[in-house]
Amino acid sequence: MKLVVAVVKPHRLDEVKEALRGVGVNGLTTSDVEGFGRQRGHTEVYRGAEYQVDFVPKVKVEVLCEDDETQGIVDAIAKAARTGKIGDGKIWVTSVEQVVRIRTGEMGPDAL
Amino acid sequence: MATTAERPAPVSRLLEELGALERAYSAGHHGRWSAARRAELVDACLIELFESADPHGGVALVALGGYGRGRLSPWSDVDLLIVHDAADPDGVSALAERILYPLWDAGLRVGHGVRTPEECEALAAERLDARTAMLDGRALAGDALPWTDAMARVAGTVRADPRAFAEALREDAERRRDRHGSVSWLLEPELKEGAGGLRDVQLLGWLAAALGGPLEEHGLLRAAEREAVDEADEFLERTRSALHLATGRPGDHIVLEQQPQIARDLGFVDEPDLRAVDGLMRSVFEHARHVEHVTRSVFDRYLRGAADALEVEPTTEGVLRAFAAFARAGEVMPAATLDRIAAVPQPDEIEWTPGVRDAFLDLLAAGTEGVRALETLDAIGLLARLLPAWRAVRCRPQRDPYHRSAVDVHLLGALGNVSRLLDDSSPADPLVAEAVAAIRDPDGLRLGALLHDIGKTGSPGHVARGAAVATKVLGAMGLPEPTRELARFLVAEHLLLSDTATRRDLEDQDLVHDVAARVGDPERLAALYLLTIADAEATGPLAWTPWRATLVRELLAKVEHVLERGEVGADTAARLTQRADAIRSALPSQPPEEVDRFLLRMPRSYLLGLPVERITEQYPLLTPRLAAHEVRTHAVAGRRPGTHLLTVVAEDRPGLLSLIAGALALAGLSILTAQVFTTDDGVAVDVFEVEGAFEEEVADRRWREFRGTLRKAIEGRASLPYRVEQKRAHYPRPRHRVPVHVEVDNEASDFFTVIEVGAADRIGVLFDITRTFAELRLDVHLAKVATFGARVVDAFYVRDDLGLKVDDEERIAELERALRARLEIPAEPGT
Repeated sequence: MKLVVAVVKPHRLDEVKEALRGVGVNGLTTSDVEGFGRQRGHTEVYRGAEYQVDFVPKVKVEVLCEDDETQGIVDAIAKAARTGKIGDGKIWVTSVEQVVRIRTGEMGPDAL
Repeated sequence: MATTAERPAPVSRLLEELGALERAYSAGHHGRWSAARRAELVDACLIELFESADPHGGVALVALGGYGRGRLSPWSDVDLLIVHDAADPDGVSALAERILYPLWDAGLRVGHGVRTPEECEALAAERLDARTAMLDGRALAGDALPWTDAMARVAGTVRADPRAFAEALREDAERRRDRHGSVSWLLEPELKEGAGGLRDVQLLGWLAAALGGPLEEHGLLRAAEREAVDEADEFLERTRSALHLATGRPGDHIVLEQQPQIARDLGFVDEPDLRAVDGLMRSVFEHARHVEHVTRSVFDRYLRGAADALEVEPTTEGVLRAFAAFARAGEVMPAATLDRIAAVPQPDEIEWTPGVRDAFLDLLAAGTEGVRALETLDAIGLLARLLPAWRAVRCRPQRDPYHRSAVDVHLLGALGNVSRLLDDSSPADPLVAEAVAAIRDPDGLRLGALLHDIGKTGSPGHVARGAAVATKVLGAMGLPEPTRELARFLVAEHLLLSDTATRRDLEDQDLVHDVAARVGDPERLAALYLLTIADAEATGPLAWTPWRATLVRELLAKVEHVLERGEVGADTAARLTQRADAIRSALPSQPPEEVDRFLLRMPRSYLLGLPVERITEQYPLLTPRLAAHEVRTHAVAGRRPGTHLLTVVAEDRPGLLSLIAGALALAGLSILTAQVFTTDDGVAVDVFEVEGAFEEEVADRRWREFRGTLRKAIEGRASLPYRVEQKRAHYPRPRHRVPVHVEVDNEASDFFTVIEVGAADRIGVLFDITRTFAELRLDVHLAKVATFGARVVDAFYVRDDLGLKVDDEERIAELERALRARLEIPAEPGT
């Protein structure tokens, strides 16, 4: 089992959700996150008031899947999240040792 | 654990009878009668157990707290006290065990204490909850004396200083409110401990006990109030019992998952615009609001007395003025004054005279105390008479992942937050200070906050409905046009910043222009920002996160810049629609769906920036779609004599503009201005103002030559740098050395880096500049060329290959060096 984690632009979330549904993903977790990569923070000015934006808002998407689904999911996210501009985000995949569905007690791939 | 066989007969009988009681009524009909019956059954069992234990004298069994009042919900604790005279401590312990063990074994929740009257007094002195539990005490069995003694001691301390006791009760109620919130608006309320819940009902009983008689006799409670509290008590008891029966365990927190079943149990059914589950919660809120208001009034009447009751002019305006005066002084209106106000007859629908309106606006302007006053106006039924639309949102629960309060409470919360922002002299967010400074019409902002969700009446589309309702309400108030318009705008667009910022691409210039067009002016934008914060903060503790704030501020700043530069205004959207209509009617022979597709493909700046006749001329260049290397051009006479408007349409590719510039130079044409558009589907539409470099008249031959060269260059069959160099060789160099200057400005625009280049004019200078941009992968969107004698000064709006502004220092330095090297021309030797 794998955990696919993607950090994407907020406005691509709907597309990513749709794309994941398209490849048969039934469950995912999202969270609002902030950070920076090559796209650093910047300064904004409103009516003369300057303020520094150190961290750029992003959305983190997490999907648990079986090993053989991983590539399809990664591809789907990459395609849907891509705008071609800086700050499109990253995707990474880690191995998952165990998954438990709390309600039923099912474990492993059954719990996905 | 005792088996059924070992279970004492009274306990077995009790369990049977409790089961029968539960079955005798459906889950939603276990109200106060059922709770009293449950207590009676437990009484009988306990008395029998006590007596069969054959106690000595000097021991009493007492029911405490809710059980003492004869009120047991299905999973209430059975609180017991054994009061003894300390003559036989061991005997008392054994007695307690004989009574308690069988009950525990049977699964009843029994709490107990074993104390002497002196211990009771000490504990009551120490703890308010022990004091109140004992005030509710009721002797069940045994020797009367120890309990009479204990009760006399406890009641004695309370009656000796009822005022201190009342203060303690009120403080405790405030602590409970802080801890458990309110039953009158929280979507998942705590029915027992929350403000307006069952515990608050008991406050009245305890105060009466402290005063030694019914509250009515002390002039503290009105008959109508008693009735309202009684009804609330019954309803909340039924709801609580239904909750216990549904979950099969104790707990008074009614969470979302349980609400549908409890709504069914209590007989709520779906109505148009009010689902059963919302009907349940609305009733809970309404009853709890009565409890809150009545207990508050009773305690205020008692503690503050009638001394500071104020004369109130018996009109709506007078009443509102009184409220505003108290709120401005930062005070809650005394119940005594409120009682006078309640006596003022009010029509069902109050007419908005100028006096009523001004008094109402005064009240809104009175900050958070003003909001408190509005809550009181709501409690006495006046708010709904002023704003009939309020009835539809009053006590209405809302179910989404963010909101946690009833709609009307959320509206008052947003108003309170807007007031706080307006009055905050040193806000943590510097943008708030700037936004507040931009507000000329705070009344409009406050009204917008008060009404922003007025359309949340049960079906989707609350924003549009809210705008319609607000228009009516604001119209009825007879407000000045700017105030009315600002408030209406805020209701109609209150989600604009938040939704756009979190869901859309803020690098998209068209998007920012659209938002700017909808907002129209800086004051509205500032008001919208303040309302966005106020709305989010009133929604829940988690709604205005740094994450959301960062996105909203980015949009705010960009929209502000667009409005500041006057690029778009309130009329842009209307102009766009007009434009589209004009273009449609100027192309009568084209299939309408083709034209619509065209309008969708073209960028906003194109549709708004070019005259309609230009667009209709260019339409055939864009429809149907071009082939890979195809180039389409079109030239007409320009506005000034000798100038020509040239449109070039080709598939967009890096460096296309430089190829065009090169081909124009080779054909003997000079570029005056260049505008570059790109359609949604990647077609470049480049519009140039050109003139002949050598002669005013531009013969067809030149246009043909230009097209031919461009096509060859695109197909890779002509080297433009070589050809331009060849052509230049035939002309003399300029006689004076012209310095090259390059200026890079990232402040002028949110979307583009503006690069100004000054250099000596010569054949193909624009070709050289745009070629350099192309080499450094910069995309030109707009170019303005000015020629001053031997010198050209060109301004370019560029973005990098990622579509962003150029802020990489290294790249900028390289660009400057490359431009200088390419444009610097040594002067003619010998001059």
